[in-house]
Amino acid sequence: MDGYLITVLSNIGMISFVALSAYILLLSGQISFGQQAYFGIGAYTAGIATVMWQWPLAAALLLGAAVAAIAAGVVGLATLRLSGIYFAMATLAFAEIMRIAADLFVYRREIDGIETGPDGIEGFRDIRYFFANEVSPLQTCLIVYAVLIAVLAAFFLAERTRAGRFLRQVGEDPLLAEVQGIDVMRVRMAAALAAGAVAGLGGGLYAHLMTYVEPKSFDIMLGVHTLAYGLIGGLGTALGPIIGVLIDIGLLESTRIFHGYRMIVFGGLVALLLIVRPRGLLDEVAVNRIQQALRRGRHAGD
Amino acid sequence: MIAVDLAQNTLDGLMVGSSYALLAVGFTLIFGVMRRLNLAYGPTIMAGVYLGTASFISFDAPILVVLAIVIAGSAVVGLYVERLCFRPFGEAARTASMVASFALWMQLEEAATHLLPRHMNPFPALTTSPPIEIGPLLLRVDHLIMLAATLLMAVAVTYLLARMRLGLAIRAVIDQPRAAAIVGIRVERIMMLTFVLASAIGGIAGFLIAATDTQVTAMIGMWATTKGLVAMMLGGLGSVKGAIAGGLLLGVLEAHAQWFLGPQVRDMVAWGLLFVLLAFWPGGLMGTKALDRTMAVGRRV
Repeated sequence: MDGYLITVLSNIGMISFVALSAYILLLSGQISFGQQAYFGIGAYTAGIATVMWQWPLAAALLLGAAVAAIAAGVVGLATLRLSGIYFAMATLAFAEIMRIAADLFVYRREIDGIETGPDGIEGFRDIRYFFANEVSPLQTCLIVYAVLIAVLAAFFLAERTRAGRFLRQVGEDPLLAEVQGIDVMRVRMAAALAAGAVAGLGGGLYAHLMTYVEPKSFDIMLGVHTLAYGLIGGLGTALGPIIGVLIDIGLLESTRIFHGYRMIVFGGLVALLLIVRPRGLLDEVAVNRIQQALRRGRHAGD
Repeated sequence: MIAVDLAQNTLDGLMVGSSYALLAVGFTLIFGVMRRLNLAYGPTIMAGVYLGTASFISFDAPILVVLAIVIAGSAVVGLYVERLCFRPFGEAARTASMVASFALWMQLEEAATHLLPRHMNPFPALTTSPPIEIGPLLLRVDHLIMLAATLLMAVAVTYLLARMRLGLAIRAVIDQPRAAAIVGIRVERIMMLTFVLASAIGGIAGFLIAATDTQVTAMIGMWATTKGLVAMMLGGLGSVKGAIAGGLLLGVLEAHAQWFLGPQVRDMVAWGLLFVLLAFWPGGLMGTKALDRTMAVGRRV
């Protein structure tokens, strides 16, 4: 398989994690500009675990997800009472604080004779786990997608449970949900923790795939982009944000014809698309229709 | 000599903060009228400033012409953003218009780099006079001009809103859009005018900062967005007086943080302050409560 294609596919896979993270919060009715912070926390934690503490990959990834979730929980305690734009700004503020903190974070050790570790603004180099264990680029791509599919499966299962429906209810109308006895704060906190974990997991994978992360990678742009993916692709299912990622990264690569004008075209396209479909492509209505059509199809043979 | 440092930093901070204040005023006007965040605001200003820079580089335009181009450019681009991102969306599609404004942010940034591909570009200076010395304190003349211009704009905007019919209409739309429509105010037209006005004000802010730096970098869009947002939130959404106060406060705090702790901590201070404020006093200096009642925004201008 062509190396370039593998890189693109790997990118799509990893960015999907952050997109899914923002998606969870969108379902709970909150807009977050700061999920890139948890992506970064996951990346640095998992990287430190494998490079400096010699942990195996799976444990490192889980640690990254856990630390990110804990951070999300702490932030959530401070911010989940806020609504709408205030919450969004608070998440952005936290993400920027984290990014600047990463610029100042230095933790160097000598491993196997080479000095490695996060070096502030220079970033964190030589996260060589895959290289050292002779995993090929194709295999790393498959690992990313394996984890992504597992996460998506978890999403689809969760949608069918009461918890999943509570989440959407809280997002749709928190006052009504509260009146019906749903503990809105609890649901929001659960969503925040899950979102942090998903982003952290993706971050760990990102660190190992790229073998190099720097604080600049986790800036506002990443956050706003990933938020947009869910809103473009539609909030009906977890596939929505993935579609958004595909449109952006897939289209970005395919519209090489518009070399240098990509964002101008893409920006205009997105704005126009949203005028036509303000809740995204695969919004709840569309998903409902598809599900009904499938049900009708199944019963057609009766 | 700590007292001198404190005084100097406070003065410097006030002057830089005045540009933040203008940015915040523009942001808050749009938010007050639209109830939506315009993520393309910073890039709108960038577009205006870039047009001015281009005219300076290509035709050696005099500084007043550059100012006019910057204002006009920002206003026109603001109109473009309003038409594409805010006009077509109603109450129900608020997040969609915010995402659309983000898409235009991308678009405008790329268009700007086509206009001026270099990262750093020269910009005419406000003045070449040497700094004024008052005792141990140094006051840059261009900073003073910036402060004076901001105060003038602030007075003008407040006068507009308080004394003129257009201002009354704007306040009515901010306060109660439906009631305003019932009494015959053309709400859509007011929204458009406010948008254009806010963009023009932002253009002036961008011009002032570029003229004091005598250069324009590709980061100006992001700068305007972040400083404007933080200053606006500090002062309370939808409040013009709050925006001014927030901007000045931000400038002063940043100046002190940079002096004592370095430029990176300076940025962290701004965000940290915002985060703490939101966690404990979401309404900002002059806004109203922000806990789960988005409609509480925009009570007083």
